[in-house]
Amino acid sequence: MNWRDPETMNVVIGRVLRYGVILSGAIILLGTIGLAATSGLSDASGMLTYYPNIVPHDNIDVSLGGLAHGLVAFSAFSWIELGVIVLIATPVSRVVISVFLFAAERDRLYVLITAVVLTLLLFSMLVTPFIPGFHA
Amino acid sequence: MFIVGFVLLMFLVSIFAGIFGSIVGLGGGIVIIPVLTILMGVDIHFAIGASIVAIIGTSSGAASTYVRDKVTNLRIGMFLELASASGAITGAAIAAYTNSAALETIFGSILLVSLVPMVMKIGEDVPKSPELKGVSKRLGLTGSYTESDGRVVKYNATRPVEGLAGTAVAGVLSGLLGIGGGAFKVLSMDLAMKLPMKVSTTTSNFMIGVTAAASAGIYFARGDVDPIIVAPVALGILIGAAIGARVLLRSRNTTVRKIFAVVLAVAAVEMILSALGVSV
Repeated sequence: MNWRDPETMNVVIGRVLRYGVILSGAIILLGTIGLAATSGLSDASGMLTYYPNIVPHDNIDVSLGGLAHGLVAFSAFSWIELGVIVLIATPVSRVVISVFLFAAERDRLYVLITAVVLTLLLFSMLVTPFIPGFHA
Repeated sequence: MFIVGFVLLMFLVSIFAGIFGSIVGLGGGIVIIPVLTILMGVDIHFAIGASIVAIIGTSSGAASTYVRDKVTNLRIGMFLELASASGAITGAAIAAYTNSAALETIFGSILLVSLVPMVMKIGEDVPKSPELKGVSKRLGLTGSYTESDGRVVKYNATRPVEGLAGTAVAGVLSGLLGIGGGAFKVLSMDLAMKLPMKVSTTTSNFMIGVTAAASAGIYFARGDVDPIIVAPVALGILIGAAIGARVLLRSRNTTVRKIFAVVLAVAAVEMILSALGVSV
């Protein structure tokens, strides 16, 4: 691949996005099949209704430790959660890779723009949930 | 517990949402949220959590095709993401001090008003491209793509600062309400920057994944991303986005604009109804 060629970026980003959605889709599908297999399909009560806040299911542990435990224990919920995390990580990895692709094109202005976007994105995702008063 | 009917129905609804969301660049949330809240009676928080995942799925699923085929303009997308990402953080910071019903009324009304210029441009295939100058030239906000009939469409962006401002509004809205960003992104690129309609919707589609990811952390941490709801939504959305991307590439700009105008009207009405207490 010619890394100075602007078209390389289209090819690489297109592939990153494609692999990301295929991987997350596959994990979520496996989790869903696991959920159906372990819970049984016979629950016919209220076929179309599902109230997550009224009908409590297994508690969703959103901590990383809880997720790791669930994955090792083959909890279907945890595997679906992992698939969702891969899905959320896909556009983030696209921004990370863009920084390097613009650098390969020797486009300093867009290296800067993309690096600022990446910083804002990571700050918003990982820091603002823990700042008191945010997201109230 | 596993609810077969609910999962299958949400899977089918999400395919539909993915098809339309990827064509108009809004991401499918405007279909997912009302179906979950009104039809299924699911709490709005879980519906927004599912909608965030649906937006990221539509965005990445369809963008993989749009980027490869060069309909999405990567530089315009990255440039405008400066505004949408800053806006999302601002929205999160001021959320505690705002009244969401008032916001929805204001933004819903803006969307309704923006229907007028949108309808006036119905029938416009490719906008008359302005000369590339000033900030647009410095930032390389120009491009070209090939239509399915082999015609090459060249375009230059105009008024990048107005485009940036409109996109900042989109970001604030996403950070505040978790919804509604895509419409303002498409409108900014269409009305301010004068891009061809397919470039506007596919570049918005490309950006909304990043804007939604910026807000995903909080919904995940709160436990609003429920696996039973999100699993069929994500799977359906990814299939729908793959279909929608193929449809858009074969469609004319005029067709995409008509579909967008209809969806814009629905989004505006949904937002205003939500302000009036109908929980969509």
